[in-house]
Amino acid sequence: MSDMEPMYGTTLSTESMKVIAESIGVGNLPDEAAKDLAEDVSYRLKEIIQDATKFMRQGRRQKLSTHDIDHALKTKNIEPTYGFFAKDHIPFRFASGGGRELHFIEEKEIDLNEIISMAGGPNWPKLPLETNLRAHWLCIDGIQPTIPENPPPVSKEVQKLESVDPISNRNSNANIGKPGGKSHKLRNVETVHVKQLATHELSVEQQLYYKEITEACVGSDEARRVEAFQSLSADPGLHEMLARMCTFIAEGVRINVVQNNLAILIYLMRMVKALLDNPSLYLEKYLHELIPSVVTCIVSKQLCTRPEMDNHWALRDFASRLMAQICKNFNTSTNNIQTRVTRIFSQALAKNNQTPLASLYGAIHGLCELGSEVIKALVIPKIKSISERIETCFEGSNSSNVDKNAAGHIKTLLIKSVAPVLKTLRSPPDYIEEYKQEYGYIGPPLCTAVAKARTQPTTIAPTTTISITNNTSQQQTSVNTNKTISQAVVLGASRGTAGTATSGGQKFVILQSRSQTPTTQQQVQQKPTQATKLVVVCMPNANHAQSTVTQSSLSSKPQVFVTQSNVEQFSNPLEE
Amino acid sequence: MDKDKSTMLALLQLLHKYNFKDTEELFRKEANLIDVSIEDAQQSDSEVNSVLSAYKSEGDPALYEKSYGELKKFVEGSLDIYKHELGTILYPVLVHMYLELIYNNHSDEGKQLVEKYSPNLEEYYQNDLKKLSHVTKREHMAGNELTDTFKSNQFIIRMSRDTLSILKRYLQEKKHSILLNIIQEHLYFDMYEGVARNKNQIEATSGALVGEATRQDNKAKVYYGLLKEPDIQCVPPSVTEEEEEDNGGPDSDKPKKKKPKKDPLFSKKTKSDPNAPPIGRMPLPNLKDVDKLEKIKALREASKRVVLGPDSLPSICFYTLMNSVNTVISAEIAEDSSLLAVGFNDSAIKVWSLVPQKLRIMKDGEQLADVEREAEDVLVRMMDEKTAETVRTLYGHSGPVYCLSFSPDRNLLLSCAEDGTVRLWSLHTWTCVVCYKGHLFPVWSVKFSPHGYYFATGSHDKTARLWATDSHQPLRIFAGHYSDVDVVQFHPNSNYIASGSSDMTIRLWDCVSGNQVRLMTGHKAPIYSLAFSAEGRFLASAGADSRILIWDLAHGHLVAALPSHTASVYCLSFSRDGNILVSGSLDCSIKLWDFTKLAEEMSLEDVNVSHNPDVKTCTESYLLRSFGTKNSPILALHFTRRNLLFGIGRFDAS
Repeated sequence: MSDMEPMYGTTLSTESMKVIAESIGVGNLPDEAAKDLAEDVSYRLKEIIQDATKFMRQGRRQKLSTHDIDHALKTKNIEPTYGFFAKDHIPFRFASGGGRELHFIEEKEIDLNEIISMAGGPNWPKLPLETNLRAHWLCIDGIQPTIPENPPPVSKEVQKLESVDPISNRNSNANIGKPGGKSHKLRNVETVHVKQLATHELSVEQQLYYKEITEACVGSDEARRVEAFQSLSADPGLHEMLARMCTFIAEGVRINVVQNNLAILIYLMRMVKALLDNPSLYLEKYLHELIPSVVTCIVSKQLCTRPEMDNHWALRDFASRLMAQICKNFNTSTNNIQTRVTRIFSQALAKNNQTPLASLYGAIHGLCELGSEVIKALVIPKIKSISERIETCFEGSNSSNVDKNAAGHIKTLLIKSVAPVLKTLRSPPDYIEEYKQEYGYIGPPLCTAVAKARTQPTTIAPTTTISITNNTSQQQTSVNTNKTISQAVVLGASRGTAGTATSGGQKFVILQSRSQTPTTQQQVQQKPTQATKLVVVCMPNANHAQSTVTQSSLSSKPQVFVTQSNVEQFSNPLEE
Repeated sequence: MDKDKSTMLALLQLLHKYNFKDTEELFRKEANLIDVSIEDAQQSDSEVNSVLSAYKSEGDPALYEKSYGELKKFVEGSLDIYKHELGTILYPVLVHMYLELIYNNHSDEGKQLVEKYSPNLEEYYQNDLKKLSHVTKREHMAGNELTDTFKSNQFIIRMSRDTLSILKRYLQEKKHSILLNIIQEHLYFDMYEGVARNKNQIEATSGALVGEATRQDNKAKVYYGLLKEPDIQCVPPSVTEEEEEDNGGPDSDKPKKKKPKKDPLFSKKTKSDPNAPPIGRMPLPNLKDVDKLEKIKALREASKRVVLGPDSLPSICFYTLMNSVNTVISAEIAEDSSLLAVGFNDSAIKVWSLVPQKLRIMKDGEQLADVEREAEDVLVRMMDEKTAETVRTLYGHSGPVYCLSFSPDRNLLLSCAEDGTVRLWSLHTWTCVVCYKGHLFPVWSVKFSPHGYYFATGSHDKTARLWATDSHQPLRIFAGHYSDVDVVQFHPNSNYIASGSSDMTIRLWDCVSGNQVRLMTGHKAPIYSLAFSAEGRFLASAGADSRILIWDLAHGHLVAALPSHTASVYCLSFSRDGNILVSGSLDCSIKLWDFTKLAEEMSLEDVNVSHNPDVKTCTESYLLRSFGTKNSPILALHFTRRNLLFGIGRFDAS
């Protein structure tokens, strides 16, 4: 009978009664009277609330409002309590102290004179928006079109649930928005299979859409591409194609990294960005494909055919921000994405001297994007060794132009992102000598940067150094503070034997453990955590991946972008 | 006889107490109690009161719990076939025991009793028990709607003869006077011959505030058939011909010939239906020429309509009201789908035009005089072109507008509001024409008759009323519900009004005689939506219990219960051909139901009048499709003449 307590609910306390009595001038209310009053008042209140729910329900709402109470009082011939209007809900504040708990409404006193005097000013209360009417097709001949006005066919929560527990919603919502016959068929199929197989059928339209979108994304027509990204980032109905999209991206990165096709890589990263931005998609299930691709684009030794000319730095910057966004969105205590990604980058830093400069740059940038705490803990301690390396590049006689260029980039990056953090770490007098001693070669410029940062009181705007597209910016709230020197993590991710394995340095091959490519499982020096996690996530999707391949109309992906790349070659996409 | 005597004695004592000597003597004479002395009656003052009120204070409060416990044990231990039927008395007995205890100031025992036993009762009673549990003092009982209802009405329980005799035997054996009294005073057994009902059958019809409907309630004949359509084509031949000429002969001829073949509904209507009410039973307004033209137009449109079914589902055009959180309450679309009216929390009403044609105001008197009366387009000329707008606002109410209804000719709009008034608005002048004051409390629902002129309202004052637009007084007041009348609906033949209430019953009222002809129980929560099927035989209802129930009006039986929604259902609509039922709910979804299949599978033939047939509850096989909206609870649903479905919802951004 323990759960029976709520049946009788609560009654007001006798103290409340006494306080109220005092407030209306009744000095000392006897205990007995207060108790009786409390009981009666509680009953009356409950009755009024009961009546008020009638008004709420007739108002077709599920939330009781102050008006409902007023109306209920009115039917009982009691003067309503005027002046308690709350548009949505009453924001009760909670306070406690001395073992007491108190809920109260925080109300500011408003000086009417002030309001009147600044009539029409910026603080003048806004008029509520006019109610207006908007029509759209909820369904056409029994099929719900996937347009932004309609809810996504599979809600984000369901997708989330599905990624955690794939069996849970096998049988539920089978026939939402799908033609009846089809869903019946599906159900029958499911009852026959002992094993839970995910059948992902794409309609002809969806296949066409997929083809169009992928071609547009990596094609040569910039206007179409923008349109395609727009569609990817806004369309609510992409859920079913997501598996294929992700495979497309992963495969694309894999091949184009080997071919050093910078343009395509940038387009693919923009695709990832668009998918991440789509509010109706939940990507957790596909991170095992996306993260390696993104990391590749950050730390790969070579991303373009002419490292001295092409701006592959922009791609690294962009991919780093993507990585940070992924970490922010999907990091949970079970998957530890952020920790693992951070570890990859910091290990690259640890092997400072063996890592190619470009990879070092990527690793530093990747870390810097993850926030000031990461910079503090992982980047700043390494600055000295990094700056030694840069110094050798600048000063050394045998260093190539490429190296000098890379060293220059690392230097700017470090100064830009580390300075704001150093500003908070170190106390004001900045002595160049100190800096030099502590951070080596890069010390003096860093010192000037910190000093400059101090003079600007406002937080440093997170300017994106190179914007790849106009819609890239939003993400980072984190201050780009940085300074680093890097170490390389080379990602050779080609399907066959990795041709990239030749470079002298150490390399880290992050592989996707995918069932259909068992030959590539030779992980050279693999972070165990990362790999196992990927495998785990991969399992439920194995079928998707496979079905993609078997889709005859879709299987020609690699050609799609190989040919495209020929056409497109190196019109530098960064100029746009 | 004994009981009578004790009541009389009590009365006598009361007279004596207040010193009404003459009356006392007179009463003694009339009641044959001359030689009975008051002391003989040996009743104390408190007992007098309790005989006069419904609850006696006799008996030790501790006995209540014991006898209820024993009753419960008896029910649980009885044979399976009788168990469920016997179980139906547990709830009313508990309620009345509690009320008796409270009345006699044994609140602690009462609380204990309810806390101990209420969790074992059916889920759908918990809400009322909770409400009841708020009452903990005798003073609280005064004026409490729920306790008043229980006190002044007998709880109706249907029981087979066998079950009843078992119960009687038990009561005689045990001789619990408390139990006996309660059962005698507050329970009414509607006995029937035959096998005791099983659990499902009982659950189907239980849940109403004062028990089930008695057999007597649903005995009257209901003319649920449709009225014969006035033969428009023949009666005014001139009109039809003109119309045809206007539209170019061959074009307009074709659809009319096709009609009977295409749509069986029409052919049925022209034949006289044996279940239709006699012509003239309910006086209906005569059709004017304009109405006839409108009818022809409607028929022509109807000929183009899509016949819906599981394989040809309708398209849904959804109108979302933006910026309307907590402001929009009700919405209604005119029969020809050209106008949308929306009722607001702040007493305003807005009317939108859903067609390119804009909303205009009629010219003023002077200008009207200049209009050529013989012109063919006189109606158009009467309107002032300068005032064309797509949306117009009507102000007049002083409280939230809960319901709206367009007249069939679209010249008038009715609205009802929290201020207790019903207003009639002219859509020519865009002003309030009449304010009907009759209801004392908020009016929840208003509906125009499908033939115009009459309208029905339902209110917080527990009555439904029938009005005519040209009278300030209601024509009929339908009293009988024990709680708010939340929704009213006209039967397509205008002879009947159905009302749904917070007492969880649906009643069907005869507009002509004013009698209640059907009482239908089975909902477990207030009812907010009613819809008659296209052929008039079935009634669909839905409400706060998120289920849709289908009733057969011929006998008042529940034939199907369709649970699927997850929040209160506020709108129901049948497609024009009657094949599909749609429901819209606060759970932001619209569901389509296969009504043809449902009607076919109902076992209507072997209907036993006393027995409710088996209720179809197989949601899966009737639910055709469910469409979710984006955070927009559905306020109204409407099928156009061509069977396109319109939905109205308000967007809740949060």
